[in-house]
Amino acid sequence: MPVRVNPMFIDDLYHFGAEDVQLCYQCGDCSTVCSHADDVYKFPRKSMRLLQMGLEQKLETTLEPWLCYYCGQCSEQCPREADPGETMMSLRRWLISRYDFTGIARQFFKSRITEIFAITIIALLTGTFLLFYGFSGGNIHIYDGDGAFLPSPFIHKFDLSVGAILAVFLVINAIHMWYLVMVKGTLFAIPWWLYIKELYQLPWHFLTQKRYSECERKREHTFYMPWMIHLGLMLGYVTMLILVMVYIEELQAGPEIHWQVHIFGYLATIGLIIGTIYFIRSRFKKHYIQYKKSHGTDWVFVVLLFIIVITGISQHVFHRTGLLEAANITYVVHLMSVVPWLLRMPFSKWSHLIYRPLAMYLAAIRRDALVRQVSILNSYPVVIK
Amino acid sequence: MKNCRIGVYICMCGTNIAKIVDVEAVAKFASEIPNVVLARSYKYMCSNPGQEMISQDIKENKLNRVVVAACSPNMHERTFRNALRSAGLNQYLLEMANIREQCSWVHTDTIEATEKAKALVYAAICRVELHEELENMSVNMCPNSLVIGGGIAGMTAALELADAGNTVYLVEKNNHLGGNLARVDLTAPYLYSARDLLTEKITRTYNNKKIHIHLESKVKDLTGFIGNFKATINSLNGIPSEKNKSIEVEIGNVVVCTGYKEFDASRIVHYGYGKLPNVITSFELEKMIRAGRIETKDGKIPRYVAIIHCVGSRSQEFHSYCSRVCCMTALKYAHEIKSANPDSYISDIYIDMHAFGKGHEDFYRRSSEAKTLFLMYEKGDRPVIHKATPKDDCEMLIEVNEKLSGEVIEIPADLVILMVGMEAREDSREVARIVNISQDKEGWFIESHPKLEPVATTTDGIFIAGTCVAPKDIPDTVAQARAAAARILARIAKERIEVDALYSEVNEKLCSGCRLCNQLCPYSAIEFLEDKKQSHIISALCKGCGVCVAACPSSAIKGRHFTDQQILAQVDGLFGIG
Repeated sequence: MPVRVNPMFIDDLYHFGAEDVQLCYQCGDCSTVCSHADDVYKFPRKSMRLLQMGLEQKLETTLEPWLCYYCGQCSEQCPREADPGETMMSLRRWLISRYDFTGIARQFFKSRITEIFAITIIALLTGTFLLFYGFSGGNIHIYDGDGAFLPSPFIHKFDLSVGAILAVFLVINAIHMWYLVMVKGTLFAIPWWLYIKELYQLPWHFLTQKRYSECERKREHTFYMPWMIHLGLMLGYVTMLILVMVYIEELQAGPEIHWQVHIFGYLATIGLIIGTIYFIRSRFKKHYIQYKKSHGTDWVFVVLLFIIVITGISQHVFHRTGLLEAANITYVVHLMSVVPWLLRMPFSKWSHLIYRPLAMYLAAIRRDALVRQVSILNSYPVVIK
Repeated sequence: MKNCRIGVYICMCGTNIAKIVDVEAVAKFASEIPNVVLARSYKYMCSNPGQEMISQDIKENKLNRVVVAACSPNMHERTFRNALRSAGLNQYLLEMANIREQCSWVHTDTIEATEKAKALVYAAICRVELHEELENMSVNMCPNSLVIGGGIAGMTAALELADAGNTVYLVEKNNHLGGNLARVDLTAPYLYSARDLLTEKITRTYNNKKIHIHLESKVKDLTGFIGNFKATINSLNGIPSEKNKSIEVEIGNVVVCTGYKEFDASRIVHYGYGKLPNVITSFELEKMIRAGRIETKDGKIPRYVAIIHCVGSRSQEFHSYCSRVCCMTALKYAHEIKSANPDSYISDIYIDMHAFGKGHEDFYRRSSEAKTLFLMYEKGDRPVIHKATPKDDCEMLIEVNEKLSGEVIEIPADLVILMVGMEAREDSREVARIVNISQDKEGWFIESHPKLEPVATTTDGIFIAGTCVAPKDIPDTVAQARAAAARILARIAKERIEVDALYSEVNEKLCSGCRLCNQLCPYSAIEFLEDKKQSHIISALCKGCGVCVAACPSSAIKGRHFTDQQILAQVDGLFGIG
């Protein structure tokens, strides 16, 4: 059955950042320069083509956009300035909205105002709730221990409930992704044991982002810089998330914090602060091609993260210096940015934390299955009647 | 032959000849042949020092025959003839031996090639001994011209000739000037209005007193030769009117610019042209655009428009050539449709995008920027147009095996435009016969040399320009028309024209009047003198091809510069006899 071309799709993708894809004339320079494109996963060229033709059903089942880490070499090389790198980025945004069953991601990507409005509402609700809780039972002059303004067991429960909501959305979306890629989009058999064989890919890609470092190999002048900073930011973030979700009561236990928690806290903070400053600066300076175009959601991502980091640090400093009232107020502001940030995750770029390692894992399984399929086909003699 | 003093010159042609042929050995061999006064080899015989060497030798050594062993006479015979003339020797006392194209370029064995070069040189020496002094003829050049075809090419040529003060007879088959360009709205890539381009030309043509326009007419007959043609112009409808009657005119040169006709799209059944109402040709779209409304047969504005390229072109089934203008015209349509209906979506279904001209690549880019969807199909794997079902939001669906993605896709379409290619007109055969020029297998007129003589033909005085030669765009057509006019003006300025002395003559004593040669002559150069009952060759028309010489049962015809004796001596020489 022929696939129906949708000439309107390209207009839709414009809102996700694919502004120049129509210029592509399929020379294939982008795929040649790409460190990750190969015979099985032909990108960015093929992805650009599917996008131009609006073959939505084909695109929603591809993994290619996730295999790209946006080093930008394809965009530098493109003779038509069709910006394949940004197109892959836009496709990732579109895929996030496609995996998201609620339709919220789509609204956020298409309208910056909607996103900022939603964030503001959530932040205000959070602030109101916390202030109400704090003034009803606690004392603004006490930061930790008995009678604290925001006691840590309460915050722990609060964090866990936000985390649970987050997890529900993420898991459902990840299953949706798996269904689109492995069921709807795969026409050959995938043996179950391949899922076990390739399982190591998940933690491996999550923790090392090794393929990102491969992107940088061709560039001599950067010394793997974007990869290291990106990795630092991600590890810092995840560490902080674990500390907040699991060890929050220890963090706030006063001066007798376990040194391990202390060390991890500081390391994570360093990773986060370097990362956010680097990415904000890059988006302003636009000195690398991947930072030349910033989607509205990219700014919300870095700016919100920056606010979280700054309020987190200030709260710590105020606590240590005895300015407990200031520490409590900063704490409220900190949580007012953390909650919308966390709730926004399944509907934003941030969810690539989950989708990307998952894509690597599924891509490896698909490749194995494909190789297996081809060898099975080859083992049968071809009879021509 | 007594008193022959022959100079032999062996050219090395850089290393072209010297690499395979031992030129020194050939020179030494030649110098030992009787009547050869001297034999020399030189790096580039055609260079100025080379030519000077020949003329100096002629003067100092009193040479009266020259053999140059070098490239093909097509290349440099004229050069060496000039060298002879400058030394005061008749230019026909030269013979060339082709030891490059016919020897060094086609052989690898040095010894054998050298022997062959010696044989060729020896044959040339044997022949040159029998050469005679001949004089070129000079004939009058009538300053009037005939232009066949009143399109952009015809009008351009006519105006160019008439503006220089010459009379031009412009013959057009239709009842108006303008040709195919009059059917077009805008032109690619600069979007100039075709009407503006034409109106100016048509007005100037009508206002020019030197141009005699014959509408609804055709050239029925053309006789004579360069500078001295007679053409009969007939009214097409057969009713000679005051304005439009059968006349005979005297002319010196002819420009043929009869143009093209479009391919008949109904010949490709896949496209359903003539059956599906909203499948139209490019010219039908032009008509809509000029009427100011692009619409489907039901009068609706089409939301999805598809343009299919190479209809009749670049296929083994129909025409293998590229029609050259359709790619840019298709982009022009994309632009025009998008400007008329900004909400429309345009799919451009092509084989290759040929954007070779000035401004074309930019035009292609702009079309991409306007989100024209370019879809590539494999040559020979044509798209198929189906009628859509009522469920679909479009009239038709075009199924294509899209080459760049490898996907089989279907494209929605409300209006399909077929970019019909150019083909030779049905009457081109008749025109070719009347003006005595040749056609290729596709019916296009053949130029004298595809690269160096693009507007001349093998018949002197007949020029071709525009799309009757091959598909081309407006700038190329205009350039050719002006080139043809310039060639004619140069000849008119000379007033007389020199014709090569290579023609055949009838020996009246031997001719029996059998008239066998009369029908054979491909240039209609032989007339029969009823009073003498003998055939006579019009020397200015004769090209010296030798058909009559070979055919004459009485050996009454002599081909000057190609006499039986000269050719036999050359053949004998080649085999080492004599």
